[in-house]
Amino acid sequence: MEIIKNPQIDFLGKAKYFVALSALLIAGGIFWIATGHLHYGVEFSGGTQLIAQFKDTPDVDKIRDAVAKVSPGAVIQTYGDAKTNKVLVRIAQQSSESDLDATARAVRATLASDYAQNPVLESSSEIVGPVVGAELRQKAVLLTVLGLLFQLIYIAWRFKGGIWGTGATLAAFHDVLVCLAFLAFFKFEITLNVIAALLTLVGYSVNDTIVIFDRVRENMLHRRKEPMAKLLNDSLNQTLTRTLISNGTTFLAVLGLFLFGGEVLRGFGFAMVVGIVVGTYSTLFIAVPMVDWWYSRGGSSGGSSGKVVRAA
Amino acid sequence: MPPALQNPLTLWLLLTAALAGLAYAFVRQELRWRAIVYGSVLIACGVAVWPPYEREGEPGKIHLGLDLRGGIHLVLQVVVDDALNATTDDAVTTARDQAGRKGIQIGPVARVSPTAFTVEGVEPARVKDMRDLLRDFFRTGWEVKEAGEGKFTVEMTDLYQRQLRTQTVQEAIRTLERRVNVLGVAEPVIAAQGARGDQILIQLPGVTDVEQAKRIIKTTAQLSLKLVETSAASQETLLTGTGGKVPDNQEVLSGPGSTPGEPVYYLLRKEALITGRDLKSARVGVDENNRPQINFSLNATATDKFSRETARNIKRQLAIVLDGTVYSAPVIESKLGSDNRITGRFSTQEADELSKILKAGALPASLKYLQELTVGASLGRDSIRDGVRASVAAMAFITIFMLVYYRLSGLNAIVALTANLLIVLAAMAHFGATLTLPGIAGIILTVGVGVDTNVLVFERIREELRHGKTVRAAVANGFDRVWITILDTHATALIAAAFLFQFGTGPIKGFAVTLVIGLIANVFASYFVSKFLFEWVLGGRHYEKLSI
Repeated sequence: MEIIKNPQIDFLGKAKYFVALSALLIAGGIFWIATGHLHYGVEFSGGTQLIAQFKDTPDVDKIRDAVAKVSPGAVIQTYGDAKTNKVLVRIAQQSSESDLDATARAVRATLASDYAQNPVLESSSEIVGPVVGAELRQKAVLLTVLGLLFQLIYIAWRFKGGIWGTGATLAAFHDVLVCLAFLAFFKFEITLNVIAALLTLVGYSVNDTIVIFDRVRENMLHRRKEPMAKLLNDSLNQTLTRTLISNGTTFLAVLGLFLFGGEVLRGFGFAMVVGIVVGTYSTLFIAVPMVDWWYSRGGSSGGSSGKVVRAA
Repeated sequence: MPPALQNPLTLWLLLTAALAGLAYAFVRQELRWRAIVYGSVLIACGVAVWPPYEREGEPGKIHLGLDLRGGIHLVLQVVVDDALNATTDDAVTTARDQAGRKGIQIGPVARVSPTAFTVEGVEPARVKDMRDLLRDFFRTGWEVKEAGEGKFTVEMTDLYQRQLRTQTVQEAIRTLERRVNVLGVAEPVIAAQGARGDQILIQLPGVTDVEQAKRIIKTTAQLSLKLVETSAASQETLLTGTGGKVPDNQEVLSGPGSTPGEPVYYLLRKEALITGRDLKSARVGVDENNRPQINFSLNATATDKFSRETARNIKRQLAIVLDGTVYSAPVIESKLGSDNRITGRFSTQEADELSKILKAGALPASLKYLQELTVGASLGRDSIRDGVRASVAAMAFITIFMLVYYRLSGLNAIVALTANLLIVLAAMAHFGATLTLPGIAGIILTVGVGVDTNVLVFERIREELRHGKTVRAAVANGFDRVWITILDTHATALIAAAFLFQFGTGPIKGFAVTLVIGLIANVFASYFVSKFLFEWVLGGRHYEKLSI
């Protein structure tokens, strides 16, 4: 069984349309995020989040009335599978550092007294003080940037040319931006798990790009006379089946996570599902066209000559 | 599983043998050797991981994280300035006392920052004596500067400050450890973290009574016994004798009186006779009226001081102060020794908790709470169910697809994937890493990357076959050509995973751990084991076609 027999698709010729599409997506995403549509989870924004499991089906309105007495403006919604009777209570207001769980205690107490007909069987809570949230945000950005930088250096070293590293890294960066845009658009919260997904995505996207670069590197040894554009396009076609199958199976795996992983992994699963699709797309239409563009405007050929090319 | 195989030494021997064998298999390529070596690696992994979860009272080999089994995760910050202030305050007292002893007339001595104090108004004739005195007493850890006109500034050196900071955090950790031990939690984590090392992480997996645990950890109980100057029903009446002002060396605290709702105010000496640090033991007992009381005993040095001071202050009240509240203020009837008791108005449970707090001792500095995460046990079980469901779904998707698309070679990939998972779990069990819900996600992702390795190889083999190579040559070429690709892809993925580690603790670390182990296991399983399976099936026979 084969998906495509001997594909001959002109990827590079169509690249400009996709680059335009990506630019649009990213610009739209940046606008959407800049206008305050990116929601941070409690570990980044600080505040209190309570997940309470009730004995019977909870009445969200009654819970809202009860909680409003101690914390007006709290967000209350059902959580996870409706059958599990879980409700999420989110309070943005910061607690004092000497008595961090005061808000959570007050909410538990008010639920016990004002909604006594349906007692809370068990609850989980996450309370984050203001210091941690700010530290974590900085750390997330710093680590993503450093991760990309070190991958760039590794690839530039392995492929003996800065353009290869730059191409793969920019494609991965593109994926993170597009993924953030999707997360913001579909109102997923940026939690620690989502950050983990984004960092994994960086690794996965670069991984996918390298497989194709590696094929180009191999082709460059045998077909030195041919133009770079043809080598790149042929390499894309030669690895196309692998690209579709590998990413297809990983896609199925993370789709399982998204569908069956429960509420905690929902955001993580979504980021991965989007990320795998975008990661594949960016390899074909961002990373490889970038290398093509570099060589077509007279960039020296790296490869076997062993010459290090400065990144654009 | 025979008990002999459960022995960690046996496991180590097995693992070492397996690793040595692995190295040998690279040198000697014969199939027989590789079969023995790969087999023993996988058996060693099986031993390491068995039994994976708790059964028949025997603990499982895979440690489950907080999010899966419930418990508490706290991040605290130690306010180290408290400890610096206390040390400088001690120094101020020393300077004043020593000057008095030598008969040097001085003006005010005051702390000007957490790490420095000044001495002013030294009588001109004795400036040299004062200088010598300060230099003598504050030789190590301090720097004495002269500001002219009989004024001195004494400041802590940076080295001493750093020492005090680390010491304070370490003391806080030890105290918290003692408090946590009282709770009897298995596998607690208490460790310093944060950029400046002044944060403390506490993880208590499997704790069921979350509220009680938090109360014991959070109560910054500092027991102290202080002499009472006077007591009254209100603060105003209390201070009439001193002109409405609290004298410098005294303080006002309140406590419950004989009728509920009417507190009694006490004017106390600031300096404590005894503090929580002087306690040797504390436990709950009952008094003559069968009410709960706390019996406590003091260590030798404290006993000396306590006996001396109580002998000197017979018929005066001694306030028992805990956390800024006067629990009781009994009259000293006679000289007291090492074994004493506290009576007060508390329930048995309160007394029990109080004695636990006393035993655990006081903290050297106050704590700020930065983060708190509690997970209920049944909510954790829900997460396990979700994680298992997602894993099964992912594995099922992949298995069906690989078998349909690659037929018998797909079976090879499934064997490799299973070996991969086994190695990941075994490594986690062996290194004591915890499995979290994001960790399960990491394993599923590992499966994805593992499949990629197989797909790379299989597609290469198909390509070679299309070019008219024999089955044996196609398999050999396929694996050879793909080796560099796998090396580069895994190295870059490892770089990304290494940065995930830097997030330190929490669920992300669990994810990074499984990802890193998974990537390494994948090279072994999806490349070497898979290659071996191909060569073993092909054997010495000649095949015209390969099921791929």
